[in-house]
Amino acid sequence: MHDPAKRARFESTVLAHLDAAYNLARWLTGDTPAADDAVQEACLRAFRFFDTHSGTSAKAWFMAVVRNTCFDLLKERNRYDRHESFDDEIHGLPAAERDAPDAAAGRNADAARVRACIAGLPAEYREVIVLRELEEMSYKEISAIVDVPIGTVMSRLSRGRDLLQKTMQDTGARRQS
Amino acid sequence: MNCTRMRQVLDAWIDGELDAATSTEIDRHLAECPACLALKGERGALRRELRANAPRFEAPPALRAAILARIEQTTLPAPAPARHRQWLQTAAFASIAAAVGLVAGLWIERPLPDDSLREHLVASHVASLTDPQRLITVVSTNQHVVKPWLQGKIDFAPVVRDLSADGYTLLGARLDHVGDRQTVAIVYRKRNHVINLFAWRAADYTAEALALQSARGFGMATWADSGLRYAAISDIERTDLEQFARLMQP
Repeated sequence: MHDPAKRARFESTVLAHLDAAYNLARWLTGDTPAADDAVQEACLRAFRFFDTHSGTSAKAWFMAVVRNTCFDLLKERNRYDRHESFDDEIHGLPAAERDAPDAAAGRNADAARVRACIAGLPAEYREVIVLRELEEMSYKEISAIVDVPIGTVMSRLSRGRDLLQKTMQDTGARRQS
Repeated sequence: MNCTRMRQVLDAWIDGELDAATSTEIDRHLAECPACLALKGERGALRRELRANAPRFEAPPALRAAILARIEQTTLPAPAPARHRQWLQTAAFASIAAAVGLVAGLWIERPLPDDSLREHLVASHVASLTDPQRLITVVSTNQHVVKPWLQGKIDFAPVVRDLSADGYTLLGARLDHVGDRQTVAIVYRKRNHVINLFAWRAADYTAEALALQSARGFGMATWADSGLRYAAISDIERTDLEQFARLMQP
């Protein structure tokens, strides 16, 4: 059986960031069941190697484990299925919004459009945008998670925002015409 | 600074990752270059649109329980495939070796003098996030409701401000304990991130300047005023937490 102290430490330093982990996994894998699987798997891996981790930020370490687990899972899935099944899911609306079609339809259309634009970004830009804009993490933390130098984080964010700005303008214009 | 250089550093500047000297050069350039100023405006609009319309997906409540159950099931860990071990080491190493060169600001990765206090505060913040029932006892976005509620429960009067104009929504408050001290947690939200503002009595602390640090991946701002200590904790953007703390200053 496991050491209860280790479990308690794991809960307080790693599982404390479960929402951040789930959000990243949801954007990287593109659908709810896959995000669920990836986060569960990542937590098991993280728990197994918890004692060997010795960095300053347990959060960045855990997020790196989650990110790598997501990419492993996607690789595996693509081996069986050439189609990226996440497009439908991410282009659609979450269940709660789908159930209320009249409420704020315009806002929902905006949200769906923004979501589709982010989902359409190549993964290397999508991950830094999600970590920066939604998780509000620093360049230093992102650099540790994505495992690239800070300068690369900077240029990917810049390029990612250029791409997003362009696709959002294009889709926005199409919607209005 | 010229426009080419400006475009290279604009995003880092918007993200609050540049030192003061470069920021001053940027301000000067923006004052005289309409093209770069327009670009800055576009980036601002993009950020507002993303944060208004891109969801931060929250972990389903059942996920946490499922993870704990699976951890319980795993008896002794089987040796992991080598590739896992390799990237885990890489990840761990990267988090230690991550080069810092950009940020000079107020944020220092060092513990508060009182380690156990910091631990208690973070633990309480985390517990409040994982159990929404626990997060708030009195639900109100009105400071004039929250304040009297507190007055009936505790023998001190922490500052409760309406910061809705700055995007911080007051959600309510709850009573809490930090170690053996009675504390109150006033709960705010900015975008999809919760801020717990703790306050408790500390007679020795007549005044203490604002200090900002990291604690287990969360940002923490602490200060003291008139015999009360305050600690604001969140995973919100650090410049925002600093702004929040400044708005709370006497």
